[in-house]
Amino acid sequence: MLLTLDLNDPRPLHEQVAAAIRRSIAEGSYGPGDRLPPARDLADALGINANTVLRALRELREEGVLEFRRGRGVSVASAVEGRVRLVMRARELLDEARRHGYSRDELIDLLKELP
Amino acid sequence: MTHRARALRIGLVWGLAVTTVLVAVPLALRERLPEPLATHWSGRPDGSMPLALFLALSAGLWLPAWGILLAALLRGRVLDHRSGRAQWWGLLAGIGVLPAGMSLVTLLANLDATSWREAAPLGPEFLVPVVAAVAAGAAAGYLGRGAPDVPREPGHAPPGLPLSPDRRVVWVSRVRNRLLLALSRTGMAAGAVVAALSLVMELPGPAASIAWWSLPLWLAGYATATVRVRVTAQGVAIGFGPLGWPARRIPMARIERARVEERFPAQVGGYGLRGLPGSATVMVRGGECLVLDYRSGGRLAISVDDAERGASLVNALVGVRA
Repeated sequence: MLLTLDLNDPRPLHEQVAAAIRRSIAEGSYGPGDRLPPARDLADALGINANTVLRALRELREEGVLEFRRGRGVSVASAVEGRVRLVMRARELLDEARRHGYSRDELIDLLKELP
Repeated sequence: MTHRARALRIGLVWGLAVTTVLVAVPLALRERLPEPLATHWSGRPDGSMPLALFLALSAGLWLPAWGILLAALLRGRVLDHRSGRAQWWGLLAGIGVLPAGMSLVTLLANLDATSWREAAPLGPEFLVPVVAAVAAGAAAGYLGRGAPDVPREPGHAPPGLPLSPDRRVVWVSRVRNRLLLALSRTGMAAGAVVAALSLVMELPGPAASIAWWSLPLWLAGYATATVRVRVTAQGVAIGFGPLGWPARRIPMARIERARVEERFPAQVGGYGLRGLPGSATVMVRGGECLVLDYRSGGRLAISVDDAERGASLVNALVGVRA
């Protein structure tokens, strides 16, 4: 799992980690049902607190991207399809737009202009 | 008929023949054997066991080995490579000849003796089955090796990955071999029980020493059944075992480049940590491997999922630093 943190990103760290994991799943490095590396490994690699990673993982579970199973760790939800995937990619798009200095409304305008 | 179907047929027939020699021949000669029969010699016979135990031990050593070979044939891609074919045929012949030969030598020495102490003395004759097994293994391996491998592309270079100084990029992956995990757990438990028993009672034959010596091997198997790999700006860290310890860290400065290659256990000599430093492979499962080429000329291969992204990041970090 390839994770990227932008050091100039003003958002809270757990949101950045959630965005990085979301991006990694959206790129297809982990498919439905695949087990994620343990939170501790991710935290060690990123040089951050394991609780921050756990918070990001919980956010992604609430979004429906991840599943937590007792004894089996954290895996990509088997139903990351349809709406969940669309929401995930919309978030991606919003993050990308913000990185380039576009606001939410400007992005919506951009979408409306599309045929 | 494919090589695999032929191998399966020959493997089955051969295995049944070996089992017959191990079980049916001693039973057929039962009337002419002492009970118990001599099973250990130091020139003259100095150890014995009942015929039933002798049968159970011979079959108990052979049948699991035969089963593992057939399972490897059915499940794995052991015949896909020349080294794999040579090893499979060699093991099938050698592992069959050894117990069959040992059993025959033992029976021959015991034949028509009134008690096991009267069994014929055995000297260097016991080496005959060993030599025969090695010879049979070598011959079968040579005959079964098949056509040379089609040269593979020497690992493809992963796609580039742009890095910028205000981003921290890391890659984390892990890989586990469920079968090896289960096997090494069972082996460790069994080895520990036998080793513990050997402290309080006398065990037949070499059981105790086999148990003691097998413990480090099972432990090594357990430690290499799970591997986690992490690529950060500092370098590549490989953690073995469920705890990620022991760990091996390779500083980025030592790495020249990274690539992805398909490797299989049969090519590198099996599962676990294989090869010598400088050309070692951490083989947890066959397939995609992350290969690190060192500046010193050596290399290290690690079988791990998602290796391509890891290789991309290593190359990007090496490039950034240089």
